Amino acid sequence: AAEPWPENAALYQQLKDEQILLSDNASSLAVQAFLQMCNLPIRVVCRANAEYMSPSGKVPFIHVGNQVVSELGPIVQFVKAKGHSLSDGLDEVQKAEMKAYMELVNNMLLTAELYLQWCDDATVEEITHPRYGSPYPWPLNRILSYQKQWEVRRKMKAIGWAGKTLDQVLEDVDQCCQALSQRLGTQPYFFNKQPTELDALVFGHLFTILTTQLITDELSEKVKNYSNLTAFCRRIEQQYFGGHDKDSSATATARSAKRSLLR
Amino acid sequence: QSLEPLPMSGPDFSALGEEAELVEVEPEAKQEILENKDVVVQHVHFDGLGRTKDDIIMYEIADVFKAKNLIDVMRKSHEAREKLLHLGIFRQVEVLIDTCQGDDALPNGLDVTFEVTELRRLTGSYNTMVGNNEGSMVLGLKFPNLFGRAEKVTFQFSYGTKETSYGLSFFKPQPGNFERNFSVNLYKVTGQFPWSSLRETDRGISTEFNLPIWKTNHTLKWEGVWRELGCLARTASFSVREESGHSLKSSLSHAMVIDSRSSSILPRRGALLKINQELAGYTGGDVSFLKEDFEFQLNKQLIWDSVFSASLWGGMLIPIGDKPSISFNCMFYLGGPTSVRGFSMYSIGPQSEGDYLGGEAYWAGGLHLYTPLPFRPGRGGFGDLFRTHFFLNAGNLCNLNYGDGPRAHLQKLAEYIRWSYGAGIVLRLGNIARLELNYCFPMAVQSGDRICDGVQFGAGIRFL
Repeated sequence: AAEPWPENAALYQQLKDEQILLSDNASSLAVQAFLQMCNLPIRVVCRANAEYMSPSGKVPFIHVGNQVVSELGPIVQFVKAKGHSLSDGLDEVQKAEMKAYMELVNNMLLTAELYLQWCDDATVEEITHPRYGSPYPWPLNRILSYQKQWEVRRKMKAIGWAGKTLDQVLEDVDQCCQALSQRLGTQPYFFNKQPTELDALVFGHLFTILTTQLITDELSEKVKNYSNLTAFCRRIEQQYFGGHDKDSSATATARSAKRSLLR
Repeated sequence: QSLEPLPMSGPDFSALGEEAELVEVEPEAKQEILENKDVVVQHVHFDGLGRTKDDIIMYEIADVFKAKNLIDVMRKSHEAREKLLHLGIFRQVEVLIDTCQGDDALPNGLDVTFEVTELRRLTGSYNTMVGNNEGSMVLGLKFPNLFGRAEKVTFQFSYGTKETSYGLSFFKPQPGNFERNFSVNLYKVTGQFPWSSLRETDRGISTEFNLPIWKTNHTLKWEGVWRELGCLARTASFSVREESGHSLKSSLSHAMVIDSRSSSILPRRGALLKINQELAGYTGGDVSFLKEDFEFQLNKQLIWDSVFSASLWGGMLIPIGDKPSISFNCMFYLGGPTSVRGFSMYSIGPQSEGDYLGGEAYWAGGLHLYTPLPFRPGRGGFGDLFRTHFFLNAGNLCNLNYGDGPRAHLQKLAEYIRWSYGAGIVLRLGNIARLELNYCFPMAVQSGDRICDGVQFGAGIRFL
C-alpha cells in the first residue's frame, strides 16, 4: 500500500476491435475514466483471454506492481489505499448517496446491457456470438459463447429478469437515465465541482451506449432523450480523453467499427 | 507434463508369453509310439459360443488343423487356448482331445473340443489406481465382446487425490490379428499442478491405431482436445495468469515402441526404446508445434542376483508459425521422485515467482544398481518384492533460441546440468507400479530449483 504508483501499470480487457462486448467495454471505460480523474497513468493491454485471466472472472482488471485487482469497486479501494481518492471531500450523507447511485447503475444499466447482449435473440445471433468467439477456432468459438450465454441467462433468471421483454428492459433504462438526469441537473458533475467514481461509472456506461452500434438505436435513443446526460458525456470525454494519444482514449474505442454520435 | 486419459486399451490379461509355460509332455516308452504316430485333426468343436461370431474363432484355431502328431496337437491346442483367452471375451477355455467317433472317422483321426464360457454382457469393476505420485478410486463399466468380434466398450470414472475424470472408449481388434486394433476415446480429465500453480481441465476425443510391425509396435493417433487452464491460487505468478483461458489442440502423433525387457517393472534384462512425435496445428485448433521425445532403457543382470540398469530420456518442442508462445502445459518438466531424484516434483528449470513453467528441451539420464535386500530377509516370498537401489541421476531442462543451430542447442543443454546420487529401497507392486524410498544428495542445483534432499518417497509407473 505504501508503494507509489508504478510507471508500467496496465489495465487488461478483451480485444477492442473484434471481441469486446458492450457491457465489458462500459466497465473498462469506467475504470479508465476513474484512473484518469485520479491522474494515475495506465496503459490498456488487450488480450483475448482477459476474462479468464481476471481473478474474479470479470473485466477489466489492473496489474499494478505485484497486485492484480479486478472490477471498479475493488480498484477504487485499492487506489484509496495508495493514497488517491476522489470522494474524500464528500460527507457521510453524500457518500451514501453516491453508493446508492452506483448500485443503481450496476443493477439497472449493466443488467440491461447484459440482457440486450445475451437474451435478445437477434442481437445474440448477429453481434454477440460472432464477437465473443472470434479469437477461437471452430468449434471452440461456439462452445464458449453458448456456455457464456447459458451462464448469463441463468443469472437473469435468478434476479427475475428472464421474464422481461425488451420493451420492459428499455423502460427500466429510461427510468434509470431519468433518475441520473435529475440528480445531475445543471451541475458539471454529480457532486458539483469535482468528479467522483460515480461520474466515472456513469460516463463509462452512457458513453459506450451512445457510441456502440447495435442492431437498433433504441438503447442509445433512451439516453439521448436527456440532453444533460449527453452533454455530461461530451464534457468528460473532452476533458479526460481528448488530449491524449489515440490508443488509450475513449475516442479510439468510439472510432473503431462503431459510430460516434458526438461528432 | 501432459494429462493422460485413463489407460483403456486392450485386454486385461497379462501379455502373452511372459509367464506362459509351454506344456511339455515327458514321453514314456509306451507313449513314444504316440509321439511319432501321424494324426489328423478331423473336427474342432466349440461348446458354449453365444454371441461370439464364428469367423473370429476360426482365425485363432486355424493352426490346430495343421498339427501332425499328438504332441503337436496338444501344443497347438494350448496355443489356441492362450490366444482365445487373450481376446478378452471368454472367462474360461477348456480343451478336450479325443479320438474321432462316427461314420467318417479315420483310424488316426482326432477331435478337439474347446469348452468355453463367454464373459457376461456387462461387467462392473472397482479398482484403486496408483499413478505418478497420486492415488485414485476407479469405477468401471465394461461391455466385452459387444458385437461378437471382441469389440469392447468401456466407461470409467475416476476420483483421485488430485484429479477427477471420466472416459468412454470403444475398442476393436482386427479379427485374426489381435495386436492390430483401433480405439476411439472420449474423455474429460482434470488435474492440479501445484508446482506451477496451475489447474487444467481437458475434454477431448481421440482415435488410435495400433500396428505391430516386425518386432516393433507402432501407434498412430489423432487427438482433439479442448484445454482450459486456470490459476490454482490467487498467488499464482503473472506468467501463469497470462496462460489462463481456453485453447484447442488438434494433433497427429506417432509412437514406436521396441520392448524386449523381461518385465516392465524392475526388469532383469532386456531393453526398451520408445520414440514419440506429435504434430499439432495442421488439422485445426489454435496450437501449433512439433514435439519429439524418446525414452531408452537397458538392463543387464550381473553376479549375485543384481541388475544394472541405464536409462536416457530426452525431448524437444518446436513451435510452428508465428503464434508468439506455446502454452506451457505442452512443455516438458523435469525433477521429482520419478525423474531426477533429489529435486522436488517438476521443480527444475525456468520458473517465475516460484511457479515452474517447463521448458522446450530436456534430457535426463540415470544409472542404477539393483541388489537384493541385505541379508535377504523373507527370501523366496515377500522379500523378493523388495530391492535395494543405488542410483546416479542427471538432467537438464531449458528453453532454446530457435535461431541458433543444433550445436548451440546442444551447448545449452549441456550448460547447467543438475545431478544427484543416493540409495534406497524399491518395492514392486504387481506388474503395474513401484514404490521407492530413497535418500538423495542433489548436486549442481541452480538458483530457482527446488530440492528435496534427504528422504524422498515416490510412487508411480514410469521412473527414470
